[in-house]
Amino acid sequence: MELRGITKRFPGVVANHDIDITVRAGTVHAIVGENGAGKSTLMKTLFGMHKPDEGTIAVNGQQVTFSSPADAIAEGVGMVHQHFQLADNLTVTENVVLGMEPTSRGFLSFGAARTRIRELGRQYGLEVDPDALVEELGVGDRQRVEILKVLYRGARILILDEPTAVLVPQEVNELFGALRELKGQGLTVIFISHKLDEVLSVADAVTVIRGGTTVATIDPEVTSARQLAELMVGSELPSPATGESTVTDVDVLRVENLCLVSADGRSLLEGISFTIHKGEVLGIAGVEGNGQAELVEAVMGMRQAATGTVDLGGSDMSSWTTRRRREAGIGYIPEDRSRYGLLLDAPLWENRILGHQTERPNSKGLLIDAAGAKADAQRIVDEYDVRTPSIDVAASALSGGNQQKLIVGREMSGEPQLLIAAHPTRGVDVGAQAAIWDLLRAARSRGLAVLLVSADLDELIGLSDTLRVILRGRLVASADPATVTPEELGSAMTGAGAAA
Amino acid sequence: MTSDLKASAAALPIAVRTRSLLADKRTRPLVLLGLVLVVFSVVRVATGANELTSAGTLEAALALSIPLGLAGLGGLWAERAGVVNIGLEGMMIMGTWGAGWAGSTYGPWQGLAAGVAFGAIGGLMHAVATVTFGVDHIVSGVAINLLGLGITQFLAVQVLHNPTQSGEIPSMGTFTVPLLPGWFASIGAHHWFAVSDLANVLFAIVDKPAYFTVMAVALLPISYFVLWRTAFGLRLRACGEAPYAAETLGVNVYKYKYLAVIASGALAGFGGAFLAIWSGFYHDGQTQGYGFIGLAAMIFGNWRPAGLAVGAGLFGYTNGLQLRSPPAVHALLLVLVIALAAYSAWLLYRRRWTSGGISAVCTLLVLWWFLKTHELEQHIVSATPYVTTLLVLALASQRLRPPAADGIPYRRGQGK
Repeated sequence: MELRGITKRFPGVVANHDIDITVRAGTVHAIVGENGAGKSTLMKTLFGMHKPDEGTIAVNGQQVTFSSPADAIAEGVGMVHQHFQLADNLTVTENVVLGMEPTSRGFLSFGAARTRIRELGRQYGLEVDPDALVEELGVGDRQRVEILKVLYRGARILILDEPTAVLVPQEVNELFGALRELKGQGLTVIFISHKLDEVLSVADAVTVIRGGTTVATIDPEVTSARQLAELMVGSELPSPATGESTVTDVDVLRVENLCLVSADGRSLLEGISFTIHKGEVLGIAGVEGNGQAELVEAVMGMRQAATGTVDLGGSDMSSWTTRRRREAGIGYIPEDRSRYGLLLDAPLWENRILGHQTERPNSKGLLIDAAGAKADAQRIVDEYDVRTPSIDVAASALSGGNQQKLIVGREMSGEPQLLIAAHPTRGVDVGAQAAIWDLLRAARSRGLAVLLVSADLDELIGLSDTLRVILRGRLVASADPATVTPEELGSAMTGAGAAA
Repeated sequence: MTSDLKASAAALPIAVRTRSLLADKRTRPLVLLGLVLVVFSVVRVATGANELTSAGTLEAALALSIPLGLAGLGGLWAERAGVVNIGLEGMMIMGTWGAGWAGSTYGPWQGLAAGVAFGAIGGLMHAVATVTFGVDHIVSGVAINLLGLGITQFLAVQVLHNPTQSGEIPSMGTFTVPLLPGWFASIGAHHWFAVSDLANVLFAIVDKPAYFTVMAVALLPISYFVLWRTAFGLRLRACGEAPYAAETLGVNVYKYKYLAVIASGALAGFGGAFLAIWSGFYHDGQTQGYGFIGLAAMIFGNWRPAGLAVGAGLFGYTNGLQLRSPPAVHALLLVLVIALAAYSAWLLYRRRWTSGGISAVCTLLVLWWFLKTHELEQHIVSATPYVTTLLVLALASQRLRPPAADGIPYRRGQGK
């Protein structure tokens, strides 16, 4: 497959320009780039979901024009979408044959379809029960169904859009096994990702896209993840390390002997005590599910603590509502931005209001001040480099990194005393990650206190002034980020040994 | 003591077998129907209300169920393709008028054709609004209901020169099934336990059915086969479950939605035409909200043909009973007592003490009501079908599974 000079414009943006890629048959070819670099647009072009404004596509040396996915399928190009395109209430067989149903005398012959699906499954190591309802399947199996759909249509070229985004490591290995199997049988795989380790382990060639165009095609044998990342970002790789300490001795948040019990009586948090000072970043390290989420929610007032006090800037806020705590100056970056941080279908300026609906410039008395909110949303977009065509587009139109920058900007406005950041750079690309780290550092040096929860140990060690380790709802150890290594931290998190 | 043990030991295998038959998906409907038959027979024998399962009642029930079933099928077609069709009532009204006009002018078959065509036009309008222009399905449906009423009243004045009703529609004609009706009638006349009741049910089905009755009933299995056993049906259902997935596989979602909604209108129109031809003329307000009830029957039936048939049958039966013999409605209370008692027992067996207790108290209250009275007041009798439908809907709609993309506007190429 060969792409020459592909350019695609949307109103207001050039999503792709002068894309040149040559994919050799029988290889796994990775396309990497930051979120928003134009990978998804390129894939839609490849699959005929829209037409390029300029440039040509050739398959097996033949120049082709795709005006719909059906044309692409006819040329043996199949796509596995990042968001699964499956009907939950239909069986695996029904999902696979849809659009190309085997029939006899006008009726569907499910028998023939089932046999074919079993055969394909055995041939490529993608076995799934053909009669299961899709809603009963796990994520890994659903992905297999997606791949089977494509293979069933006789595709020789498979496009996989961020296939590992939703998989756990075990499933990723299984997927890669299947990809190698496909390659071994002469099929071509185009693999889109921003996870560099994965790309390097599975791809035969890697093309890097930046700012909507191809910048390099490299051989993964001789390239390191760091070099690849620098190509992706276009500059030196950022590091989370902070400069000198800005910690003062003014207490901002003091948590004492906090205990939390679940509805069925299990203890979730026990005897948690810590203090965060002005200008200090306190990092909480822990294996997910050890009470981090509950701790954050207890401090935010979303869960009622059984005992203990939470004190902000000298006033006891244990009995305050979440609303009052926020108004008192707590900013909150929730761990799952699409569920708790944003209304995906609402425009950016409405998202600006969320959580701050009682404060200026968003409201005047009981009424929402749309003009004020819009002006301030525009300020956030400009100051925090949120890449968007306008503040009137829906939040869902933004990439993860840009969504997160909007949330950071929102939570920083109104000058909070304390910022609670839960996984602030989870699922965002390298560029946005660097930008968010910069923002946190800048806020810290202005005297902000930060409670940082993260699963990224480099991020924790780099950003924090103080590190605490949480294990089964208790703070079990503290570590000095200046000296601790990720390995030591990791073993403390699992309770294997005490950190320095 | 010993005899008790023996009796329960003898009953045990039957109970176990019933249970395993109930657990099997294929036999469950038959077992349930059998149980219902037995309950009605018991109540009939106990109260002497032979009208409960008389051939006359059941024939009325069948005739009253059919328009509902057709409306429900209309709803099924549209919603399986992801378009909510609350405009069924309007499409039905257009069907009644079409049948009234063409039926009184040209004959019953032409009337039926016109009714179907008028309904299909209503469906087409709904499709244009919801599929092409992305109008909210409820808004468009309500508009069609108002439009159907308005257009037919206007046309009635303009064409029929009578704002409220059409001339007479000749009868469609029936066909005679050989032998069977006679046999069933003679068995039914004996009032034997269960056997006669079953014979009456069969008699109601085979006794000189009108051609369009047979067509209407046949549409139920036909819809099932088309929607669940053909490639066309799979694509249509895919449009209601995951239109963007269907789109990526080259399915023309707009086309299937259009066809489904037009078919939906045609079925509702058939339902309207049935009403008009069965009554022998069109009159204003003939549909009496049957379109809405049909939609409710479809929801009760969990968006499946057999389920909606049960829903339509339930309403049709209670309606038929209260029209044919109001006194027999009193006997229905005993049916309710038995059903409630069984439900309470099941809840208590599952150790759900609170709900079981409430249910048991309700059982006793209804039993007391049944024993204390000899007949029901007329206004309660005429409300029976509605009350029953409401109760059953409220109690049975626990685990409904509508099509995933039902009512969600679809725009080509805007999936994620």
